[in-house]
Amino acid sequence: MALSPEDLVVDGDGDFRIHTEIYTDPVIFQLEMERIFESTWIYVAHESELPDPGDYIATAIGTQPAIVSRAKDGKIHVMLNRCRHRGSVVCRTQRGNTEYFRCPYHNWTYGGDGGLVSTAQATGYKNMDYGTLGLAQAQVDAYRGLIFARLRPGEETLAQRLADVRHFIDLWVERSPAGKITLPRGAHQFVYPANWKFQMENGTDGYHGNYVHDSFLKVVERAGQKTVREVTALRNTGSVVGLSHGDGFIDRPSGGMAGQFDYHDPGLAAYHAQLEQAYGSSRMEAILGQRNLLIYPNLFLFESHIRVIKPLSVNETVVVMQPTRLGGAPDDLNRARLRTHERFFGPAGFGAPDDMEVFVTSQTGMKAKGVDWSLMNRGMHRETVKDGMHIGGHTTDEAPQRAAYREWKRLMTRAAEAP
Amino acid sequence: MILQHDPSAAPMMNRDEAETLLIEEARLLDECHFEQWLALFADDCLYWLPTVDGDPDIEPSIIYDDHERLQERVFRITQTRAHAQDPLSRTLHNISNVAVVNAGREEVRVLCNLLVIELRPGDISQLGLGQQRMLAGRAEYLFVQGAPGGPRWRIKQKKVSLINRDLPLYNITFIV
Repeated sequence: MALSPEDLVVDGDGDFRIHTEIYTDPVIFQLEMERIFESTWIYVAHESELPDPGDYIATAIGTQPAIVSRAKDGKIHVMLNRCRHRGSVVCRTQRGNTEYFRCPYHNWTYGGDGGLVSTAQATGYKNMDYGTLGLAQAQVDAYRGLIFARLRPGEETLAQRLADVRHFIDLWVERSPAGKITLPRGAHQFVYPANWKFQMENGTDGYHGNYVHDSFLKVVERAGQKTVREVTALRNTGSVVGLSHGDGFIDRPSGGMAGQFDYHDPGLAAYHAQLEQAYGSSRMEAILGQRNLLIYPNLFLFESHIRVIKPLSVNETVVVMQPTRLGGAPDDLNRARLRTHERFFGPAGFGAPDDMEVFVTSQTGMKAKGVDWSLMNRGMHRETVKDGMHIGGHTTDEAPQRAAYREWKRLMTRAAEAP
Repeated sequence: MILQHDPSAAPMMNRDEAETLLIEEARLLDECHFEQWLALFADDCLYWLPTVDGDPDIEPSIIYDDHERLQERVFRITQTRAHAQDPLSRTLHNISNVAVVNAGREEVRVLCNLLVIELRPGDISQLGLGQQRMLAGRAEYLFVQGAPGGPRWRIKQKKVSLINRDLPLYNITFIV
């Protein structure tokens, strides 16, 4: 690491640049894990994935192995997946239902709440205080079904963290007439050999669609849904927004991404009637807006799915996409949503693999030294700031990316002063 | 799998014939004759790669193509500039452990193991290029009698359950 985090993001007058090392330096990656992923509220699971006591999911917060568990009393716990004895993980399966987490090494056993229940051949310990030897617990809170955890205790509550983005989470949840989203067991999962931030940047990038997804646009045109010219025109509507905390979104009016989610569905009219009944017509218009919403650093709420970025190393990343099922919506509609989601997303889809491909070509490009900066100044001259929101003058502008990197810089330098 | 032999209804397809069909399909894919490969499928076909066992109307599939979407898949590879297939994958589809089950006069169910070796050629100094990868899975075919004048058998369903279907996958925009 030749430069400090402070120097790796240049935020000047009409000038916004990101240094190569942000994508390539293992030391920076490790600092990101500590100062971003382990120090802020990170999404870990959706409540619908853990409906019953005993349900659990093994995951990671940053790169630290963790367990999300619903204890006997119904309370959600997020715990480090590390036995307090000699450090082995205590849960190896991805998800399931259990009464206990048992270490494979010496059989130390923990309850669904992480409490140490028993040790093997316990007479070998004298005056053992079981109460202090449970699995290490993270702070946990939830908002509208989204469970967040924070490994390092901090002042900021989840409600404070989400204050500026909450409205857009609400709109996303209200795509369900019953206000209830459920996630399937299955997911589309990618692994790609490039840095996690390429996906972070791309999810709110309104600039790439015409070029990265030219292939998909031709598929849509061939199907008689929309011509390439019509879709590219739609992609020029709406705006992009950068929020506080690094959050941001592409904001297109209802139907703005038609072609990607053109349902061909007789259930659509009935669904809209349900939404109007539940939320009123003007709210419905807002609900049906096409938004790719980033909740920094690694959660996206998309029209069709929840997307989570899981960094593995500086140049290896997993992306998990779980299509959402809208509670109360007609089965036909949910089925059509799933089919249209599959058409674009997933490792064999007609769209998302092309995104992953450019993450990989970008990571390769980062090997070229001497041109050390990536540019993110698009549209700075036409950006407006209103109520703390940085609103792009055009949907192809890089306002959300700038918001994300301002937060990156804030977190990466803040923690350096107060470890 | 133990076959339940019913002497009164001699199977319309034996294992040799099934293997011949599967090997021919593999050849079409490996030689990039995608339009000819598409012609193997019946109009009401399903080409399906699940992520988990369950209802495909609830659980996402990696691929859940009807004939229209299968045409789109071939169109995308052959007629558009798809970055994930630029350069185009080279593949070698390997078929083994073929078993014919439920062989009837109109429909035949065939199971086999499928091992696909895949490679994207190009500048090997670039990430993602020049590396051989493997995809392994259990394939389940349903063949139906073709219309007169066409191929004798057509594929009504091809379901491939990859052994890593519920784990992260890297770019499978080639045809499995």
